[in-house]
Amino acid sequence: MIDLFPFTSEASEKSTYAESHARKGFFTDTTLCIGCKACEIACKEWNELPSDGMTFTGQSYDNTGELSGTTWRHVAFVEHGGNGATRWLMESDVCKHCTHAACLDVCPTGSLIRTEFGTVVVQEDVCNGCGYCVPACPFGVIAKREDSGHAAKCTLCYDRLKDDETPACAKACPTQSIQFGDVDVLRKRADERLEQVRKTNRFEGASLYGRKTDDGIGGAGAFFLLLDKPEIYGLPPDPVDTTRDLHKMWRVMGVAAASLVAAVTFSAIGTRR
Amino acid sequence: MSDSYYGRPIVKPHQWKPEVPAYFWIGGTAGAAAVGCTVARIRGAHGLARVFKRTALAGALASPILLTLDLGVPLRFYNMFRVFKPTSPMNLGSWVLTAFGGALTASTLAELCGVKAASVIGELAAAALGPVVTTYTAVLISNTATPVWHEAYEGLPFVFIASGLAGAGAVGVLFAPPEERGIARRAMVLGSLGMGAGMQGMQVGLGPLLSEPYHEGKAGAMHGAATLLGLAGASLGVIGRKNRFVSSTAALCTIAAGVLERFTIFQAGKQSAQDPKYVVESQRARLALRALAHELPQHDERRQESEHAEHRMEHHAQ
Repeated sequence: MIDLFPFTSEASEKSTYAESHARKGFFTDTTLCIGCKACEIACKEWNELPSDGMTFTGQSYDNTGELSGTTWRHVAFVEHGGNGATRWLMESDVCKHCTHAACLDVCPTGSLIRTEFGTVVVQEDVCNGCGYCVPACPFGVIAKREDSGHAAKCTLCYDRLKDDETPACAKACPTQSIQFGDVDVLRKRADERLEQVRKTNRFEGASLYGRKTDDGIGGAGAFFLLLDKPEIYGLPPDPVDTTRDLHKMWRVMGVAAASLVAAVTFSAIGTRR
Repeated sequence: MSDSYYGRPIVKPHQWKPEVPAYFWIGGTAGAAAVGCTVARIRGAHGLARVFKRTALAGALASPILLTLDLGVPLRFYNMFRVFKPTSPMNLGSWVLTAFGGALTASTLAELCGVKAASVIGELAAAALGPVVTTYTAVLISNTATPVWHEAYEGLPFVFIASGLAGAGAVGVLFAPPEERGIARRAMVLGSLGMGAGMQGMQVGLGPLLSEPYHEGKAGAMHGAATLLGLAGASLGVIGRKNRFVSSTAALCTIAAGVLERFTIFQAGKQSAQDPKYVVESQRARLALRALAHELPQHDERRQESEHAEHRMEHHAQ
């Protein structure tokens, strides 16, 4: 089939700018996370994100709950297991800055862009708050802000990157659980770390999440070293950029549209008016 | 029970206000009515064609208002038109809806000014765009990570055309001149039955797990009521052929069923996003299937991995 238009998500993989920088990202090594939430605070402060209120969820030390329009780093506290063998796992979650980014694909205004750093950023002065990116994200990261009405999420501290600075969360992380850098360098480091954790520390269930470049999102710019199944941390086990199936959807729609014409015609044929 | 993080949602449920499902019904009905207008003209049912045209025009004018009201920053509605972006069904839909409304407005103005040719051209343009207006919304919600929407991409467009057909037919039954109601009634009954069958078919396609939201909670109750109303509309539509009161009741039942079914689909989408099991279990099943189907390629992967390791070692040696 000849593609007259970029119906697939290929268009959004390319930066809007000239590729003058290496792709930047995070490698979040959850084995090093101590759950201090410095990343959450640093992110809120630097990006001037308002408080989400004081609530107690009763879910371990996690009173943040989830990523949202006003929470761009979220530390998950997993209490997994039982019978005296409970594992306490912590993970600082963040936007994955997908290679095939569903939010960017579906954005009708072009507010969401791929930056010169290979990251995915909302242009808040362009976004009209249509909310399409919200259910499109396979990780449930992006959300509409109630105060301003537009969509918002982690920018990988776009403003800091432009000044050659490390994003606030990685800068604040006291254990280097959050590592910032060029994605290809981080990937190599993650591979080595996984090997080490598996062999030396005998965490056989350890895995890299978002590291593979042939998954449903074409690999993440922000990936993780996990010690258990992704769903334990609130992550989808097999995330897919929905736009991967869009060409099939258009085709079905074409058949349905033709059926509508046929059905109306059928209603009119042989009827006494 | 599948594993989860304190039962919290993985994907975010849509945050759309009731204006959006309302638009889905109104836009869908308008699209089908635009097709109906041209078909009725060809059949010489000009009274019915007029009703269809007004329905389509009213829908096309109301739709952008409803959509703008839902926006987080309504004054920036025009940003929908700063790009042409085929990966975004909402963007394409905005363009199509604008052309659709433009064609109908121009055609109506031409009709009022007595320029017949321009009026017909406008009607034809609207009839060509109508099926797209009716169906693109199905693609719009399918193209998300919401489990019951994405996995239903093969069924949803058919539910939407049936609902649009039923809606347009019902409006025709209510307002067309008595001698021209036959076409509208037939469209209404066909659409009602199609909607019921479409919803059933869609659920079969979704399978036992993902069709659950259509039987549970608020969505389940709404779906039940919509099904009953749809059946009532269809059967009264057949029975009440000669009786104005019965056929009007049938039309109202059909409209209520169509509107309710749109809200059901939005509610089911929400429910399927709120419970992480729909995401986890369907993705786990997908992974298991893939592992089964690709046992050999998995072997390849391991080989690739070792090649990778060799490569790394060489790199270190250097």
